[in-house]
Amino acid sequence: MFCSQCGANNVDTAAVCMQCGRSLQAGPPAVPLQPVQPAGVVLPPGVAVQNYLVFAILATVFCCLPAGIPAIVYAAQVNGKLQVGDVAGAQLASNNAKMWCMISAGLGIAIIAIYGVLVMVGILSGLHSN
Amino acid sequence: MPNGRGNQVLVALLAAMAAGAVLLEVFDPATSGIFPPCPLRYLTGWYCPGCGSLRAIHQLLHGNLRAAWALNPLTVILLPFLTYGLASFALLELRGRGLPQPFLRAGWIRTLCAVIILFGIARNLPMHPFDLLAPGTVLLR
Repeated sequence: MFCSQCGANNVDTAAVCMQCGRSLQAGPPAVPLQPVQPAGVVLPPGVAVQNYLVFAILATVFCCLPAGIPAIVYAAQVNGKLQVGDVAGAQLASNNAKMWCMISAGLGIAIIAIYGVLVMVGILSGLHSN
Repeated sequence: MPNGRGNQVLVALLAAMAAGAVLLEVFDPATSGIFPPCPLRYLTGWYCPGCGSLRAIHQLLHGNLRAAWALNPLTVILLPFLTYGLASFALLELRGRGLPQPFLRAGWIRTLCAVIILFGIARNLPMHPFDLLAPGTVLLR
């Protein structure tokens, strides 16, 4: 079942959500898994699947990296699927958004590391030539 | 009990961002060499949508809204949203519950994506008035 607080997918027998710890027994009724007909915005009550939009924008605007764009596209897909009640599809898109954020962060860290190495090499060669 | 590998990564990320903010307060990326150059700018000479964002945050941290706007207006517009979102993530880690988040329709997020891409293209166009979008141009006039 999906947690009504954070949207994490838990086994049906779980008493508390493995993601956020909320009690799954006393909470609101379980979310319907069948996609609702897209008649306007039909949000299953209390569902929140993480879209990682904040990190996607951070990756695009601050890392200067093209990996941020697919992350934003998947973030839009998460909310698009939620709008039509497709929670399972939203969770899949959410995983993809997270993956692209991670790729972007990894590239950013790699670039900082490479720059650090280049600076060190520059300092060392400067010392050597003096 | 919000614990797990993903959360640890998140905590490390938030800590790195806080450290980055302190560095940005002290050092100006426009004059200091401690920040790596943007690889895209270095290799191609093009401005990406994020070009000038670190310099803009440095100016914002010193209260110069006009300079920050001239360096990267997109950053200035998005920063309140990003700060709120990051605060929400941090609170989710600390007390298991984030800040209230209004639901953004998919169309709005797609529009934002298009705006970011178009902004990145427009600020590279050499003709007026698009050249005003290049980082810092307004300050030179």
